[in-house]
This record gives sequence, structure tokens and C-alpha cells, in this order.
Amino acid sequence: MDVVATRSQLVAALTRVAGGDRAALRIVYQDTSAKLFGVCLRILNDRSEAEDVLQDVYVTVWRKAATFDPARASPITWLVAIARNRAIDRLRASAVSRRAEAIENAEAVRDEAPAALDLVVAAEQQARLKTCLDELEERQSSVIRSAFLDGMTYEQLAERMNVPLGTMKSWIRRGLIKLRACLER
Amino acid sequence: MSETDHNGTPEDDGRVLAAEYVLGVLEATERRAAAQRIEYDADFARDVAFWEEKLGGLADEVRPVIPPEAMWSRIEAAISEPVAAPQSAGLWNSLPFWRIFAIGSAAVAAACIAALVFIGTGGLRDERAPLLANMRQTTGGQPGFVAAIGAGGTLVIVPASLLTADQKSMELWLIPAAPTGTTATPRSLGLIAPNQPVRITVPPQLVPFVTRDAKLAVSLEEPGGSRTGAPSDDIIAVGDLTNL
Repeated sequence: MDVVATRSQLVAALTRVAGGDRAALRIVYQDTSAKLFGVCLRILNDRSEAEDVLQDVYVTVWRKAATFDPARASPITWLVAIARNRAIDRLRASAVSRRAEAIENAEAVRDEAPAALDLVVAAEQQARLKTCLDELEERQSSVIRSAFLDGMTYEQLAERMNVPLGTMKSWIRRGLIKLRACLER
Repeated sequence: MSETDHNGTPEDDGRVLAAEYVLGVLEATERRAAAQRIEYDADFARDVAFWEEKLGGLADEVRPVIPPEAMWSRIEAAISEPVAAPQSAGLWNSLPFWRIFAIGSAAVAAACIAALVFIGTGGLRDERAPLLANMRQTTGGQPGFVAAIGAGGTLVIVPASLLTADQKSMELWLIPAAPTGTTATPRSLGLIAPNQPVRITVPPQLVPFVTRDAKLAVSLEEPGGSRTGAPSDDIIAVGDLTNL
């Protein structure tokens, strides 16, 4: 299915979910669960935790669908934001014991290649993000990607890259400020 | 925000913080404070939405993984619980609200009812209905406090679960309803106790701000309360004021 059709089908389904339609939630689930499970798994690095969070994500979608505003967000970024927030909250809550392990495994589970752009955000928006990330220093765009995908804190990123915490904060903050200026151009 | 790069305006700091929140680099406490700020700072919420939309595309790099077969039945079972209706029909039909009575000790439940009864009588003599806030904890969403405000500005706040403040003080804040695009300044209603009901008289100049859609929040402050007149970043519970 092409991107535009997927997007409008998702918007329509979410609108029906807001009205309490379970069949519509099933459609949203079928179209997005593999992507969102991938997102949760990548952050949590633990199948059973990722399953718990995924359940929680769709229960949240069921309850919060009315707050989705298609004028402000595309359906997939809205769903990805819910999944990432839940997964990161879970990760932070169970942080201490699992932290070291997560950092070690983070490299191991790194995807070999970017997956097919299935549930894409509008192509031009995607292209813009890529252009703007490419304008950053390589190490900046790389830690920003890493932070987003793995849900790592400043401290964990600093440890992984073997730089002082202040340096890591400074890389990312400057990167984000530059990124914003580019995205708003 | 601290350490390096702290040379921007507060507005710049808020914008960077929104990006940091969405990126996911904050530690648990900062993260919780940022999540809370979305609730009462419209500019901040807009910045968060901006970054969620812009950075969301990075998820395209994540390889999809098909969840186990049983996942859908789990979700279906979870949304079949009575609380699952997407639009709750008000507080009295809200299961989480009634759970407070179940979760809290018998004494707390009794205090809740006492608070409501006390406030309720005042309401009968006044056209304005009393308002109730079911304040959830900002981590985990468990019940935190129940507060009822009568028309005369008498407020009763009752802890709904076991909370500890260690060496800190708990301070109650009124966050007035603000038109979209603007930010309301939280107003202190004074210190409260983590383990017993407290009765507070809302100062007359703040009574006009006690309306539906305003919020109540509890923050952890240095002993004696906030010295700056604004809540610390450590907001532990928040809830909307709702009509009974």
C-alpha cells in the first residue's frame, strides 16, 4: 500500500477508535504493531518487557485516540511517540540493574541496515530531516540518532562514547539547536 | 538544564529541554518533571509536539518485529475492563477514582468521604458546584491525592496513597486554566501533609481562578516551601478540577 493510503487509513481508523470502535483499533494494531514492537524492543532490549509495554501502548491509544489531531501530527509519529515514551519510562524505572547490560547489548542489536521505509512519514518531511541531520557534524548526528533509537541517557551515551558528560551534553544540545534552525528553514 | 551551554534565555532553555525530552536523554527525575511541564506550559507542549513530529521519522530506521500472536488478545482483554471506555463519563463513573477508595486504607477512604460531605454541604447553599480533583502521581499514574474545593474557597486535600517526602516539604499549587497558546503561572496554596488530610482556605484573590479545567499540583520543595514563588521541577502529583 502506498504511503498516502496508509496514512489516511490510519487517520480514519484512529478517528473511529476515538469513538470506541474496537475493529478500528484492530486495524491500527495490524498496520503498526510490528513497527512499534520494533521500537520498544530496540529501547528495552528485553522481549517480555517490550511485550508488556506494547500492550500498554495500544491500551493508551484506545483511551487517548480522541487527543490525536491529524492537523498537528502524522498518525505514525503520534504512535511512535507513545511507544517511545512508554518504553523509555519503563527503561528508566528499571534502570539501575539493567543499565550496564543494556549498554553492552546496544551495539549487538544494532540493525545491520535501515529497514524499508514502510509506514513513512511524508517523504519530503523525511528528506528534510535527513538533509538537516547531514548538516550536523557526523558525531552529532550519530549520537542524536543513537539517543532516539536506543533511549539512552546523556550519561550512558557519554560512557559509550568515552567522553565526559559535559562534552556529550554540549554535542547534543548544540546539535539540537542547529537541527531546529534547519528544520524551521 | 545545567553545566555547559547555559547561556540562552529561559525560552531557549525550554526549547532545548523539549528536544532533550523527546530525544529521551534525560534521567528519570528530569524526565518526569519535563513530562509534567507539558501539562501546564503550552509553549513547552508545542515544542515537544514539534520535536515528536520532526524526529519521529528516525523510527523508520528501526526494523519491524512481529509481536507474538497472543498480543492482540491481551490488548483486547485489557481494553475490555470497565475503565476502558475512551471517553470517561465523568469522575463518578471513573474506575480509577473509585479505586482510590479501595487502595487507600479505611481511614483514608473515610477521610475522602468526609471531605466530600463537608465540602458538599457548602455547595448546596451556593450556585457554584464544588470541584474535585483526582490527583495522580506523575510516576506510574497511581492515585496521589484527592482534593475538593467548595464555592467559598475551602479546600480539603486528602492523601490517597502512602507518600513519603523524606526531608522535603510538599506544596500545593493551583494552575489556572489558560487559553490555548498561553501559559498560566502556578499559584501556591501552601504546604500540605503527606499522611493526613489538610484543610486550606484559598486566598480570596485566587478564588476566581478556581474553575473547571484549572489544575492542582503537588511539588516537593525544600523544607518550609518554595522560596522562589514557583514550584520546583519535582512535581509529584497533578489533576484537573472537575465538577462533581
